[in-house]
Amino acid sequence: MPSHAALPGNAMPTAPLDTRYQIETPEGIDLPLRPAGLMPRALAFGFDLGLRGLILGILFIALAFLGNLGIGLGSILLFLVSWWYMVLFEVLNQGCSPGKQIMGLRVVQDDGTPIGWSASLIRNLLRFVDMLPFGYFLGAISCLQHPHFKRLGDIAAGTLVIYREQPLARPHVPQAPALRLPFALELNEQRAILGFAERQADLSAERTHELAAILATPLQVSPARAVEQLNGVARGLLGPS
Amino acid sequence: MRLSDASVVIRPRSTWEAMDLGVLLAREHRVLLMSSWALVSLPIFALISLVLWDYPSVAVLVFWWLKPAFERLPLYILSKALFGETPTLKQALRQWPRLLKGQLLASLTWRRFSLSRSFVMPVVQLEGLAGQARQQRLGVLQQRNAGAARWLTLIGIHLETALWIGLMALFYLFLPQQVELDWDWQQLALASSQDWLWLEHLSNAFYALILVLWEPIYVACGFSLYLNRRTVLEAWDLELVFRRLRQRLGSAVAVLLLAVGLLVVPPTPHAMADQPQPAKPLSTPAASQAIKRLLEHPPFKNPETVTRYRFGEDKTTDKAKPTGDARLPAWLESLFKKLNSDTFKSLALVMEVLLWGLLIAGIGLVAWRYRDWLHAFVSRRRAARPTPTQPMPSQLFGLDMGVETLPDDIASAAEQLWATQPREALGLLYRGLLSRLLHDFNLPLKNADTEGQVLEHVRHLQHPQLLAFSDDLTRHWQNLAYGHRVPTPLAQQQLCTHWRSLFNSEAAQ
Repeated sequence: MPSHAALPGNAMPTAPLDTRYQIETPEGIDLPLRPAGLMPRALAFGFDLGLRGLILGILFIALAFLGNLGIGLGSILLFLVSWWYMVLFEVLNQGCSPGKQIMGLRVVQDDGTPIGWSASLIRNLLRFVDMLPFGYFLGAISCLQHPHFKRLGDIAAGTLVIYREQPLARPHVPQAPALRLPFALELNEQRAILGFAERQADLSAERTHELAAILATPLQVSPARAVEQLNGVARGLLGPS
Repeated sequence: MRLSDASVVIRPRSTWEAMDLGVLLAREHRVLLMSSWALVSLPIFALISLVLWDYPSVAVLVFWWLKPAFERLPLYILSKALFGETPTLKQALRQWPRLLKGQLLASLTWRRFSLSRSFVMPVVQLEGLAGQARQQRLGVLQQRNAGAARWLTLIGIHLETALWIGLMALFYLFLPQQVELDWDWQQLALASSQDWLWLEHLSNAFYALILVLWEPIYVACGFSLYLNRRTVLEAWDLELVFRRLRQRLGSAVAVLLLAVGLLVVPPTPHAMADQPQPAKPLSTPAASQAIKRLLEHPPFKNPETVTRYRFGEDKTTDKAKPTGDARLPAWLESLFKKLNSDTFKSLALVMEVLLWGLLIAGIGLVAWRYRDWLHAFVSRRRAARPTPTQPMPSQLFGLDMGVETLPDDIASAAEQLWATQPREALGLLYRGLLSRLLHDFNLPLKNADTEGQVLEHVRHLQHPQLLAFSDDLTRHWQNLAYGHRVPTPLAQQQLCTHWRSLFNSEAAQ
């Protein structure tokens, strides 16, 4: 591709697509949330459905020996499990039903605060609208076409299903003498250099050299020594640890 | 391929997030993707249906089988759109025959049932790999993310089915009332006659329509999974930042030179601020107009149009529900019968009573809990308070008012007292008058009333003789009480006579 292709006409008119959902707190802190789409949510729902079916099946078999009483208790149980299972888990378990827990999902309000009783009730009562006319027809279409993957219940309740933050494993940074650069680095550049050092294990050796060679000229080293140099810079950024 | 032209944010994501990005990508270009898919697949679907008119199931199977051939077009569009070169619909459609050339047979036969089809497709179509090279590439790519790609296909199968049935249900629900349909499900299931062929083709058409919605998303999700895998493998995000950093440092010298140059050139006078204009004289009406105009706009006034649904006229013609008296299967019925045995009936009754009691207690508890609230709203107008019968004061002006403390014949008692204790005598008369006013005329006298107020009450009685006597007596009483002036014997006599004429005659009547 010719290098002069980046004419003003080719410039991207809009912000690039991303799956992040930014919230700015009054203190000026950006909270990046990651809304979850249809696929993990469908799997989470499938798991919850199976679990509920299992619970109900076992209890119904047990209740079958109790005659009319059993039918009565079974009806109450059916009501509780079908209407309150999600609500209770979401409100009392930090927005995670068991299925969501397994898929690493969580329900929060639009502003990132924990979900409350009313929001959870609304979003779960409106499940029955999402299910119309069969098998989450409306919910699936809404989920696929909404920029933050909300089904109708989520839109009504003002809630958001996001990926939970998973605990991070401590990354391994290759050993190298710490270096300081003679010029200032911006935040994303610092992160990229740290990322380069941390992700070397996942990259092939050739690709590592290729990436480091991009910065050989500004670092004023030969391309062969660029990897070591960058690792040193990463160590320097990391500080004594 | 220039990463800096990418229209998505490139960073390593989790597999599910990568799929979400695919959904967003498909959403961004949905018009182009869906219309191109529809223009390609629907005519072919129509053709297949016409050729296989007598075999609708085979027709839909063939159409389903051809999906990988159609999927190449959305992938082409997405790969172009990713780097900001979104083709027009015409360009895309013109490309389709060329796209079909590479390994079409393989993708329609032995690779047709691969669950990670969408993930693998870019390797063949975009990288153009085949044979051993393709195998090696797939080996690297599928170390991770392949499971997610399989899940994607599995979810896709279920979603397609759900949407398909949903669309048929919608169609059934939206049938106008006038079309009298007595479709019986059994009849539909067993229908093999020619009559129902059109219906089966209709449901096939629904499937084709559902694919217009879903397939671009499916392809986009597979594509974004592929992109994500390569981003992780080749650290595309790092390359992007490193290239920008190199560019920034390279141009730093030029910027420095430019800055020095700007400092040397003296700024032109145009760049200076203008002289402040003299303030315009403001008249009061103009100012108030301006203020009003300002107040009409945000942030002082934020008009908002609210549209709400309201209940319309009640439809009285409530359709009788079609009572599909579904009979329970025999085993379920026998189960219910067993459950209805007498053993638990009493226990069930107890439970029922308990539950009803719980409900009533709950309502009572709520009512009690919010009694103040209810009180404030329900009984806004308090019931008219029954005017309490004011207790008669037992004393007025420090004088005992009880009937029993007075002698029977007050006038005679007074006459006897005049000579020795005129104060006592007049006091007795006045006491007697007040007592009469209280008990006989039921005047609402209070402990705090003054003599004048008592007279005022008497005036309301419309009894001139009584009024005249009261007036007279009060005057003498005040004269004696405050002025220590004893009434003349004549006046004493008159008072007693008046008393007799007023009260004794009444007593006689």
